[in-house]
Amino acid sequence: MKILPKFAIAALAALALVTSVPAQAAPKKDFKVAWSIYVGWMPWGYAADNGIVKKWADKYGINIEVVQFNDYIESINQYTAGSLDGVLSTNMDALAIPSVGGVDTTALIVGDYSNGNDAIILKDKKSLADIKGQKVNLVELSVSHYTLARALETVGMSEKDVTVVNTSDADMEAAWKTSDVTAMVTWNPMVASIMQDSRANSVFDSSALPGEIQDLLVVNTDTLNDNPEFGKAMVGIWFETLALMQSGTPEAKAARESMAKASGTDLAGFEGQLKTTKMFWTPAEMVAFTDGDLVPAMDKVRNFLFTHGLLGNNAASADVVGIEFSDGKIIGDKSNVKFRFTDKYMKLAADGKL
Amino acid sequence: MSSVCVENVWKSYGRQTVLERISFTVEQKSFIALVGPSGCGKSTFLRMLLGDEAPSKGRILIDGEPLMAEPSPDRGVVFQKYSVFPHLTCLQNVMLGLELAAAPRLGILLGRRRREAKDISRAMLGNVGLGAAENKYPSELSGGMQQRLAIAQALVKKPKLLLLDEPFGALDPGIRAGVHETLLELWHETGMTVFMVTHDLSEAFKLGTRVIAFDRRHTRPEEMEAYGATITFDLPVYHPVPKPPEIIPVFAEELDEKAVRYKAAV
Amino acid sequence: MRRLINQYPSVLNRLLLAVLPFALVFLAYAVASEARLADNPADKLLPAWATIQAAIIRMGFVPDMRTGDFLLYVDTMASLERLAIGVAFATVIGGIIGILQGLIPYVRAMMVNFTSVVSMIPPLAILPILFITFGLGELSKVVLITFGILPYIVRDLAQRTEEIPHEQIIKAQTLGASTWQIILRVVLPQMLPRLIDSVRLSLGSAWLYLIAAEAIAAENGLGYRIFLMRRYLAMDVILPYVFWITFLAFTLDFILRFTQRSLFRWMYRGQA
Repeated sequence: MKILPKFAIAALAALALVTSVPAQAAPKKDFKVAWSIYVGWMPWGYAADNGIVKKWADKYGINIEVVQFNDYIESINQYTAGSLDGVLSTNMDALAIPSVGGVDTTALIVGDYSNGNDAIILKDKKSLADIKGQKVNLVELSVSHYTLARALETVGMSEKDVTVVNTSDADMEAAWKTSDVTAMVTWNPMVASIMQDSRANSVFDSSALPGEIQDLLVVNTDTLNDNPEFGKAMVGIWFETLALMQSGTPEAKAARESMAKASGTDLAGFEGQLKTTKMFWTPAEMVAFTDGDLVPAMDKVRNFLFTHGLLGNNAASADVVGIEFSDGKIIGDKSNVKFRFTDKYMKLAADGKL
Repeated sequence: MSSVCVENVWKSYGRQTVLERISFTVEQKSFIALVGPSGCGKSTFLRMLLGDEAPSKGRILIDGEPLMAEPSPDRGVVFQKYSVFPHLTCLQNVMLGLELAAAPRLGILLGRRRREAKDISRAMLGNVGLGAAENKYPSELSGGMQQRLAIAQALVKKPKLLLLDEPFGALDPGIRAGVHETLLELWHETGMTVFMVTHDLSEAFKLGTRVIAFDRRHTRPEEMEAYGATITFDLPVYHPVPKPPEIIPVFAEELDEKAVRYKAAV
Repeated sequence: MRRLINQYPSVLNRLLLAVLPFALVFLAYAVASEARLADNPADKLLPAWATIQAAIIRMGFVPDMRTGDFLLYVDTMASLERLAIGVAFATVIGGIIGILQGLIPYVRAMMVNFTSVVSMIPPLAILPILFITFGLGELSKVVLITFGILPYIVRDLAQRTEEIPHEQIIKAQTLGASTWQIILRVVLPQMLPRLIDSVRLSLGSAWLYLIAAEAIAAENGLGYRIFLMRRYLAMDVILPYVFWITFLAFTLDFILRFTQRSLFRWMYRGQA
């Protein structure tokens, strides 16, 4: 009985079926975008639940599915693996995960930047310099880590002066209550909640780093170029939702309340978080920021990523991934541009051409 | 060298009566064989002698003293199986009784006292024909050798009573005969009182100086619960004092080893 | 033709069949990785062997840029230390409670329901409680491992102790043994190899709890690294770490089995 060779052939045939080639970019009708809970991204959930997404998708003859992920990093990983067309991400994570992973990514919407949402909190101590020698609980390699690194620079210290303890964001509030946690870097809504403790002192926050921590809708560049309707629809959805929030009508209040509830707080809490978020409420504001000088901010971010080994094994310098800005200027490797800013679609909105 | 007095002993579990009206007296240096059909309570009776179970009614006296309510060193025991400790070698198994008595805290003897315990134990192993097997573990011994070890382990404590619960039931007939000889020889030497439960009548009459049979007098189904077994006959057995030839333990050991080799070959 | 259950592979076929599932997994990986890399040379999901190899060298044999440590070594030592302390506590406590529960009726009456109920608590569910009670440091990680495997060890040991033939316990009493001496000379020596078995079977769970604890808050460790690297989809680091953990688990199991065989020969003698 020589059944083994046959068995091997059958197994190989099965294997060939399992191994499918990734989808090629081409004109298509169905798009999937993921968002996760964060103050500046809550409008997406509202737009999906209240027909705004469908309205714009129908207008351009496509289908757009806006899904919520409970795990922010998982949504970015899924985007990087190719199962999503777009994702809500910070500029830092978008550069470090999909772009470094070879997925050419465009920032379609620059929704806001953190203007105090990320904060360094010390227990009982009042000044940033007191952080020296402490254990600092934060999500390692996240914008919190970036905030810490930038903050330490301002007082002439480096990460060598502290011990970073990687802590899951879901456990930050519980961690703060334990006695061995004395220093923490985290973001809203955890910051707001922790600051209610009378021993908590915010010694540094992202309002000192204006424009550096951006919250973006990033999409696959090839998908966008092949399907400009997708880009137009997304921008249309975004500004219609923001306009509704700003309209001062009872619907505006209802929308804000529903977003507050979805993010696990009340209206006052949500408004408080909006205060520490620099939202670009109008297309004109967003175009102005996007067309401004983003080079210094992105340069700091990519240097942070490089020194933390996040630009890949073979990165000789922070230049390994090229970043293109809306005016066509490129920093880094011009032959390997994987991260792009564009004002093209937001300008259509500003000009009322959607 | 102890007398045993059993006074109107009953044993029941819940409403089920197992034994009733058991009374007899045993003079010292007897070899009592308890026989009866299975389920007649002969093993239960042995466990009462052992102190593992208490009589529901009546009492048992040894040398005029009531029996201790739990097993104690004045009563040695050999069961059909599991009588020896698998994690100890033959020598350690025999030494254990000496060590436990002499070292209450750790149960381990050291130095000179350990050597003395070893010498006593070696002699005891020699008596049962296991002199060459002192460093073997029970799992390496045949069934007959394991029972010899169990006997040696019990006797090293010099018990007043030796209780045997079907000790040879699992042995091949040829091997059984050898162990019988060893047992009789040791019984003659020590003069202890032996109780042996067996279902083998020829074994009972071969070894016992007295054969006591337990059985139920009432066997109709509706009577089974209310009435237990009791003594149905009690026979003295007279036989000439055997003079076991010196060769027997050695021979028996050889026989056992043949059995081991045979088993290994199969 | 004989029934399938009566057909046995030849020595060569047996070897081939044993290798086949491993080979298929590697082949599937190679094919899928190739396809993805052809599409996007910088793909992170299924990195090429060379990329993985570079990551192994970087993690294991080149000092880290920031700390100057060999990360794989630091992570391994940190994780093994947590695992060892957690498992050691569980073994000692579980051994003591298990033996007492199995041997002493009063302890059994008190503990048997309690241990069965406690063993039903999913340890990961009480993780937040552990972190609040014991802090985010080493203690809560060790406690999670100990608590995670302790109920199984207690119940297993109690059952094994109860399985010791009653005849042996009686026999020990007729040899004059006190309760303490029975524990020391009869029960404990027979339970030590069982305890090693119990620990071996618990090691899988112990690793699970270790990695879960390290994922939540840690400065180093194998689970810490995997979850940190997950943030950047660094599969080139994650995959070797998974292999390394598998290898460590396999080695620990082998060491325990070897220890048991060489220390407790009485269990294996004469059973060939």
